[in-house]
Amino acid sequence: MTMARRSSSLQYWWPDVLTAIGLLVAPYVLPSLGFSQDTMNRILVLGLFGIGFDMLFGYMGLLSFGQSAFFGTGGFVTAYLLTSTGLSSVVLGLLIGTIAAAIVGFLVGLIALRRTGIYFAMITVAIAEVFFFLENSPLSAFTGGENGLPGVPAPTFYLGFTTIKVGSGWSMYGFLAACFLIGMVIARRIMASPIGHIMVAIRDNPLRAAAVGHDVKRYKLLVFVIAAAYGGLAGGLLGVMQGYMPPDAFTFDTSGQLVMQTVIGGLGTLFGPLVGAAIWLYLRDFLQGTLGLGASWKLALGVIFVLLVCFLRRGVIGAFVDLARSLRGKRTADDEEPGVIPEQVVTGLEQSRPMVAARSLSAASDAADPILQTRALSKRYGGLVANDSIDFTVRRGELRGIIGPNGAGKSTFFKMLTCEIQPSSGSIVFNGSDITGFGVTRVCQLGLTKSYQVNQLFSGLSVRENLTIAVVAELRGPFRLDMLHRVENVPGLDERVEEVLTLVNLSRRADVPVSGLAYGEKRRLEIGLALATSPSLLLLDEPLAGMSPQERAETVQLLKSIRQGRTMVVIDHDMDAIFELAEQITVLAEGAVLVEGTPQQIKNNVTVQEAYLGGVHEA
Amino acid sequence: MGFEIGRTGIGRISRREALMLGAGAAGSALLAPYMMLPAQAADHPALGTYPEGSSGDSVFVGIAVPRTGTYAAQGEDEIKGYELAIEHLNNGSELMSKISSNIKKGVLGKQVKYGIADNEAKPNTAVQAQSRFISENKAVMITGSVSSAVAVAINKLAQKEKVIYLPCISGSNDTTGKDCTRYSFRECFYAQTAAQAIAPILVKNIGKGKKIAFLTPDYTYGHTVRQSMEEALGKQGEWTVATNQISPLGTTDFSTYLLNVANSGADVIVNINFGRDAVLSIKQAKQFGILDKMTLVMPYNTPFIAEQVDPDTMAGVYAGTDYWWTLANDEKYPLAKMFNDAFSAKYGSNPEWGANAAYMQIAMWADAVERAGSFYPPDVIAAYEKGVEIQSTVGPVKFRPEDHQLIRPVIIVKGKKAADMKGKDDFYDIVEVVDGGPLMQAPDAFGCKLGDAA
Amino acid sequence: MVATPELGTDLLSWANFISQMFNGLVLGVLLALISSGLTIIYGTLGVLNLAHGAMFMLGGYAGYAAYQATGSYTIAVIAGTLFVGIVGIVMERGIIRHFYSRPQEDQILVTFGVGIVFVELVRHFFGSLALNVPAPGWASGITSLGFMIYPTYRLAVVGIVAIALVVLYIVLYRTRLGLIVRAGIEDAGMVDALGIDVYGVFMIVFGIGAMAAGFAGIVNAPVAPITPDIGEAILVQTFVVVVIGGVGSFPGAVLGGLIAGEILSLTSMINPSYSQVMLFAVMTLVLVVSPRGLLGSQGRE
Repeated sequence: MTMARRSSSLQYWWPDVLTAIGLLVAPYVLPSLGFSQDTMNRILVLGLFGIGFDMLFGYMGLLSFGQSAFFGTGGFVTAYLLTSTGLSSVVLGLLIGTIAAAIVGFLVGLIALRRTGIYFAMITVAIAEVFFFLENSPLSAFTGGENGLPGVPAPTFYLGFTTIKVGSGWSMYGFLAACFLIGMVIARRIMASPIGHIMVAIRDNPLRAAAVGHDVKRYKLLVFVIAAAYGGLAGGLLGVMQGYMPPDAFTFDTSGQLVMQTVIGGLGTLFGPLVGAAIWLYLRDFLQGTLGLGASWKLALGVIFVLLVCFLRRGVIGAFVDLARSLRGKRTADDEEPGVIPEQVVTGLEQSRPMVAARSLSAASDAADPILQTRALSKRYGGLVANDSIDFTVRRGELRGIIGPNGAGKSTFFKMLTCEIQPSSGSIVFNGSDITGFGVTRVCQLGLTKSYQVNQLFSGLSVRENLTIAVVAELRGPFRLDMLHRVENVPGLDERVEEVLTLVNLSRRADVPVSGLAYGEKRRLEIGLALATSPSLLLLDEPLAGMSPQERAETVQLLKSIRQGRTMVVIDHDMDAIFELAEQITVLAEGAVLVEGTPQQIKNNVTVQEAYLGGVHEA
Repeated sequence: MGFEIGRTGIGRISRREALMLGAGAAGSALLAPYMMLPAQAADHPALGTYPEGSSGDSVFVGIAVPRTGTYAAQGEDEIKGYELAIEHLNNGSELMSKISSNIKKGVLGKQVKYGIADNEAKPNTAVQAQSRFISENKAVMITGSVSSAVAVAINKLAQKEKVIYLPCISGSNDTTGKDCTRYSFRECFYAQTAAQAIAPILVKNIGKGKKIAFLTPDYTYGHTVRQSMEEALGKQGEWTVATNQISPLGTTDFSTYLLNVANSGADVIVNINFGRDAVLSIKQAKQFGILDKMTLVMPYNTPFIAEQVDPDTMAGVYAGTDYWWTLANDEKYPLAKMFNDAFSAKYGSNPEWGANAAYMQIAMWADAVERAGSFYPPDVIAAYEKGVEIQSTVGPVKFRPEDHQLIRPVIIVKGKKAADMKGKDDFYDIVEVVDGGPLMQAPDAFGCKLGDAA
Repeated sequence: MVATPELGTDLLSWANFISQMFNGLVLGVLLALISSGLTIIYGTLGVLNLAHGAMFMLGGYAGYAAYQATGSYTIAVIAGTLFVGIVGIVMERGIIRHFYSRPQEDQILVTFGVGIVFVELVRHFFGSLALNVPAPGWASGITSLGFMIYPTYRLAVVGIVAIALVVLYIVLYRTRLGLIVRAGIEDAGMVDALGIDVYGVFMIVFGIGAMAAGFAGIVNAPVAPITPDIGEAILVQTFVVVVIGGVGSFPGAVLGGLIAGEILSLTSMINPSYSQVMLFAVMTLVLVVSPRGLLGSQGRE
């Protein structure tokens, strides 16, 4: 459909067919280019291993140097079952190995995902090492320690009319190719699902992904587990392929090689690891065999890797894609074929929650009672008091303005309301329930969100994709395992996105990437992201900041138009705008409520004027 | 590869058809295995690399040994033995024909070509290297090992790929014990015979009731040698174990292990480490003052250790070995002299036991193939399993058909002081050449199940 | 495969405990020094240098080459340290500098790649076989400490490395450069604001961090022979040290190093094969209890 135009190929079936054809043709083509059967088999195993890693790093941005832990776990569980327990079904062994790796991935993820960035990278390295040592010594009764586990059988398939015994020849290639194909099809489905889009959003801006209502931690853990499962399956296949499960599967080298192959092939492509492994193993054979470079082949690969990271960050596939794009010129948007969507996936979303305005409608029904109330809300940083015992009440349907000189604690106050930061004391009641300490995701799911003072967009995505991320959060809830459901099949998604696009007047710019937007448009998108989660209470933190007079006028109009049936609280320094918009105004000064009243009352209030002496001019 | 291999049209088409069929049926999982192709040669079905590997006027042998890492020095020594043996085979040599009158120039008239790969003493690298030799070069035989972990892994690979494998240095009981295969044949001595041969000598010279500290590398070789030594010394001399320090292969700093040994109250250190591990552990044991208090024993001696550590440290150390060049001084071993001479003519030094094992493996393989009259693996295996006695550098030897272990003597040596050495590589005195046959365990005692030949 | 049952129990004696504690100290100071290098680079530049293990290795080889040429241990140590310092500065100027504005993951990838290039270059020129640098004459031989016999050079290592740590401390806490570095660790933005030539500081810090690793590399060479891949295991242990001590904290690195050394040594009293596992277990524990490490600052994340 219309979503995901940039990652267009993900929603089609033809890449799957092309992959299948490619895998079928490869044995006729690659051998004449110097790829041996054994090399091709290894490429498939590493390619499969890399699919999971690419989802983790390429799509979600988590650089793990610990994937060998799962490769080894899956491999050894499979190998142990097949060599030592009398389990005869290789496929079952692989399946159990995959599940074991996923479970281990879950446990490791619980620890490693406590941190991000370099901490995450370091922890994954350390964890992978733990597994290597565990395999090598304490568990050597099961894993053979330094020996590994020899004698892993190859599968046999009973098909009724014939029995196929997979051996070491092309039949093994066929088996691995089938596994790779299945893995690839599943991965492409995941990437085309809402979860795939959320993954990209998390890489792009984890803070906003959480703020629009996605449970970022659980999605990270989920993808970590998926990557572990792919590693486990690949590890199991390695043992089956060579009839031997090596202890090296657990080494840091294995992880490092995977990282390098994925980067060489191209991150965020799913096929990158396959291409990277092909280049890697081909060069290894070529440099070692043909050129007789001996051990120096790795030096050449290291140099290639560094050059790619420096100059061609998107790897070989990325380079080809860029080249093809520049040759073909810009594609028009007209190549959409609605008929392509093959099946209507029946989702569990049919009786999903009501759409956009629904939350606000019910809210508007009872106009008098408070939707939000804070009691003695305070925030202290060390000795510094940012907010001091604020009592604040907003009624349903109200449009409240908050003003105050710089440093009055307005933004801190908003951050506490959306649970981005924890108050030092006091409580927040929203819609009748105490939400203090809930966290930004949960609060957003309850219908309270904010647009940020500084744009927090998914800057790598288009306008439409940005809004989709926010809308699916509202439609699907904070976390849902609809991995195999296409995002465009989320009921009501398109209408909602279109609706918001119209509201913030970006319909004609829907497929422009964020980087191509003008500042005013970005601000509107920022508000749109908040709106897309259909909040019953919308907080706007300086929506007019940095705008030209004309943009201001437009945005004020926008705010007026969206206030219908919503409760809104607006912070801004633009007094005229606030006075024009708000029914009630709260003035904050030095972290406390100075005064509250109608615009007229505030205008004439002496204390406010005093507090603003000097302050008002800098707005 | 693949599609150029089939020499006849039949093979080519049938494989292609199989491929298409498989593709149509289940997305590609159903490719007919290459091994199921109909017979091409007249009398034997295709099996492993047969008949492709031997259809030309030369055959290919895949050699994978460690050239880097802990066991690199021993790997290079093996290469020397292999190259000398293959040169002798291709040119015809007196030594070869003395070993077996069956051996002629070439093997079944074909020249032997070979490829050498570095297996890093890692099973995985070895499996990859040998797989490449098999699939790309159609190797009729693969060989080489310093680590038993490698030998065991390649044992299984050989059985799976139906290609003969000849481990070179491999001291684990498992190689011809629980991990034996029909396709693998071991020349060298191993844990059980080493222990049985050296134990009486140790008990006689050191005394009864001693306490042992084992230094054990953490893999199949180390564990089986430790076990065999513990049993033999316990039974024959009532020796007990004070401590067993298990270190990973490739350890460079033994300090924590050695401190444990120093504080264990042991009388004797039985050092099972091999290669660089052995060298470093002995050097560091000396630095920690342990060798002054405890007697060092090397049941499975590392080639070149005396020169790498220094002769005086090794002086008086009892060690079990596979071959020591001064055997040639005894008229009972005429082939040892010929081998030493040929080796030093080519390389300028006397051979160590890795080179000897490599040379003998190639010679005995040529003998078996000649007797089989074919490279068809089951025929070659049958020839091996006849257990025909042949001459070797350490006297007459023969393979035991039940577990494919060579029945051969163990040489017990004792280190010499530098001052007593009569030449640059005169590091040991031979204490005794112990007949291996009577020492060996029953063929099934270690759980050997050979598997099928075809 | 299974260890003998009585393994370990006999070794839990006071003599062995003290011996192993002492041995842990030797290991610990070395880890402390290498980790300090990693941690000040990260703290100041915000770059996690995955080539740090390779720097350790380069120090060993540069020292080895210098030793071969001159036969002097002192010259080997100086040459090894300076060479790695220069490599660090060149690396910062040539590569790292262009990555400050790129995502953290890119920085990790490029240092990882550079590390591999270093290792393979050394393998290319020196081969894979282990090489030895002998201990200097004054420190070779055996010293009896009463409760144990200990190689003299290993004793000397404690002293040599301790001096290096003190020098590093003085640079960090008693010089203007150190002030800037520590300020940068606390608040990267502030140093910018003060109008200090950050890039100049970055280059010097990267050089100093690399030198710490290189120095450790050559000092350790007589203890354990050098191979092209020795840096890898060290790098992983360094990560553990830094995570335990707190990323970016010099005192944390020292404390973490000493803790790690003792864990490795004392665990091996019971069963050496568990020592690494125990190290990582402690790291995990620290992460769960105190995610920023024992002495970590709020500065970076």
